[in-house]
Amino acid sequence: MTDTQTISGKVYSHTVIRVPGKAHAAAAPFVLLLVELDNGRRVLGYFSGPEPPPIDAVVVGKVDTSTPVFSLLQGQL
Amino acid sequence: MSEHVHVAGVGSTTFGAHPERTLQSLAAEAARAALADSKVAASKIGCVFIGNFVGGIMTGQELLGPIVAADLGLSGVAAIKIEAACASSSAAVRIAHDLIRSGAEEAALIIGVERLTGAPREALTSAMTAAIDQGTEGLSGLTFPGFWGLVMSRHAHLYGTTREQIAAVTVKNRKFGAKNPLAQLRKAISLEDVIGSALIADPIRKFDCCPGTDGAAAIVLTNAALARRFGSPSVRIAASILTNGPARISDYRDITTHDGTVEAARRAYEMAGIGPHGIDVAELHDCFSIAEIVDSEDLGFFAKGEGGSAVLNRSSARYARVVINASGGLLSKGHPTGATGCGQIYEIAMQLRGRHPNQVPRARWGLTHNGGGTAAAVTVHILESLST
Repeated sequence: MTDTQTISGKVYSHTVIRVPGKAHAAAAPFVLLLVELDNGRRVLGYFSGPEPPPIDAVVVGKVDTSTPVFSLLQGQL
Repeated sequence: MSEHVHVAGVGSTTFGAHPERTLQSLAAEAARAALADSKVAASKIGCVFIGNFVGGIMTGQELLGPIVAADLGLSGVAAIKIEAACASSSAAVRIAHDLIRSGAEEAALIIGVERLTGAPREALTSAMTAAIDQGTEGLSGLTFPGFWGLVMSRHAHLYGTTREQIAAVTVKNRKFGAKNPLAQLRKAISLEDVIGSALIADPIRKFDCCPGTDGAAAIVLTNAALARRFGSPSVRIAASILTNGPARISDYRDITTHDGTVEAARRAYEMAGIGPHGIDVAELHDCFSIAEIVDSEDLGFFAKGEGGSAVLNRSSARYARVVINASGGLLSKGHPTGATGCGQIYEIAMQLRGRHPNQVPRARWGLTHNGGGTAAAVTVHILESLST
């Protein structure tokens, strides 16, 4: 059993990894977000969609592995 | 701590693809050239420091210090490898500088060397990401183009830095590199070429990235007495600083300002007694085109947010006079990671001697900036010509 924690914040910056290292070759392309959490800390995570959301968009993330997966807060773009 | 430290000699291989060469042979070629250039007797060399990042990963070769020293016929010397990712050889210069300045050594040989070509792109990308913390952010698949993609997106968001301004860095450096016989990429390209090239890590495109490179560069440092005795060229190190910055992107206060560079520059200017507007020529760590813009701001050449516009509007009196990356920089000359720091000092030394293929007239003060990892290990060196 793994505990899943929910976090939220705003997109601080974004990129799309199209040329990955060997360990992530099967996953590419994938979106990486740097998210500024509500508590002020920043965290690097994946985005659930194929294109990154705009900077300052509000996202929510689930943390059940080392890298959280974010999606847009419902009702946003 | 009273000695002036002199750049008594410099040497370099060409930067590019050398698939038939070993690390040892590249290092020895550059070292022999630097020793000959310095005129210093090899018996005076007290230490041999090798700057190398991924020799073990890419070629299987370690223990480069004793092996290369033996190939050069040097015995009884301290011979070790020093690793600080892409800042490996400039970090080695800093350590050698301090040994000479303290009086512990009279002369030192510093060699930077790397072999990166020939491997599949994924293998090279993986090797480079050894400089990202693999216990945390490395697990996400973050790459260095990805790191700079995050920086570029944020810089554009905060300051309105345009795609054309960023592409203009590559165009400028390719134009310089076309005249540098040591450079790997010697073909000039246009803004359209850069903007139309393939995406690597959005918004970073292929021609925003430096190439992977094979090559070596070497420096002989001496105290003032030895430089005078052997009639070595008259260039001194006015400042040598190595410091750290955030080792994880999530630890940055602001990812468009690299605190390691800001701090290294502050201390270097203080040590040299000169400010950014006194620098005539500089070699900056343009591993990606946006990096030169961020570096030029963090070094104080331009105000934060104005580095992009400065690339396209250099004739304006509001901008510093410094000529940046006249070698072609990493974007054109190439980036043999462990060798890059010594390669930058080679370029500035040639400028200060008046012998550079893209000579800056009356250049007296030169600066090098070299960054390892996520600007987590940063060096700034300021050199002064004693003959201008």
